[in-house]
Amino acid sequence: MSDPDQSDSTVAIFFCRQLDPEQDANRRSLEKELGPKVRFFPLPCSGRIEALHFLKALETGARKVYLVACPEGACRYGQGNVRARKRLDFAKALVREVGMSDDCFELVTAPGAGLASMDEIARGLLGLKPHRA
Amino acid sequence: MITAERKPFAEIKAACAPYRRILVVGCGTCVAECAAGGEREVALLASQLRLDAGKARRTIDVKEVTLDRQCVYEFIDQIFPLVDQYDVILSLGCGAGVQAMAEVLPKIHIVPALNTTSIAETMEQGVWREDCRGCGDCKLDRFADICPITRCAKGLFNGPCGGSKGGHCEVDPDVPCAWHLIITRMEETGRLDAMNEVEPPADWARTQGKGPRKIVREDQKTP
Repeated sequence: MSDPDQSDSTVAIFFCRQLDPEQDANRRSLEKELGPKVRFFPLPCSGRIEALHFLKALETGARKVYLVACPEGACRYGQGNVRARKRLDFAKALVREVGMSDDCFELVTAPGAGLASMDEIARGLLGLKPHRA
Repeated sequence: MITAERKPFAEIKAACAPYRRILVVGCGTCVAECAAGGEREVALLASQLRLDAGKARRTIDVKEVTLDRQCVYEFIDQIFPLVDQYDVILSLGCGAGVQAMAEVLPKIHIVPALNTTSIAETMEQGVWREDCRGCGDCKLDRFADICPITRCAKGLFNGPCGGSKGGHCEVDPDVPCAWHLIITRMEETGRLDAMNEVEPPADWARTQGKGPRKIVREDQKTP
């Protein structure tokens, strides 16, 4: 979980769009609330992530990059979340080569497709209180 | 295709340390297929360089370009207008690509970012196996299209050594015995009689010993 006290820290959250059918509305409310401190990047499947996405997120100011994927065995496309982990591991190896800590990248397994909103997941990651409708 | 692997970042960083303006040049052909030097790998290395410089609060200027083929002068032409603006070229081409660029760009230091390894085939996504040593005297038809020079640890021309176990090489049990594969394929293609022929030693003079090999095709040359 990122430290909410680090007010200048930016968090990038890549996530599988299959997780939350209402992700568009859910993430936008949080984006409004937090402004540029959080950036969401919906993917058609977590397996579409590339190591370059992680590195570019760091380059453009993110201090922490999350990838939110479906639980293993629950990927709509079969192996997407397995591939996602491999890509994350590769990205970690690349930042370690540069002498940076690899804990800036983190894979988060969501409860499952349609079982949680991106708003809830992101609030959990950012250490924020749940949103009250 | 020609396969390559990226050098460790520390080695690349040390080679580029004296320079501030770095032109990272990839190749969209063989080394892109083996995920070592294509557009994506150029972007990853450029990103690593920028992150590393940022960590040290150093300013660098990194430009990314990927040529269709780094070993052909006409493609290298595309970076001519850029070269004067950079201190060094970091090449993600194979050894031929680096040397082709050096041939036409005599006044700029070119640093190889890859170790060129072999002529290989794509076995599956993410797996490449060496198939050819470029010996200059191909006899694949005599060996059921499986090269014993490359794929037999002992480079045997006239049958198996006798040390294989369960169809696997005694030198490296993870590798199938090339002669097991050759004989199986000869059987399957009805050519087992060819095993009775004795294959003479290779003419290694075609491989090495006289400097770089060169092909000259008059029909292809410009007047």
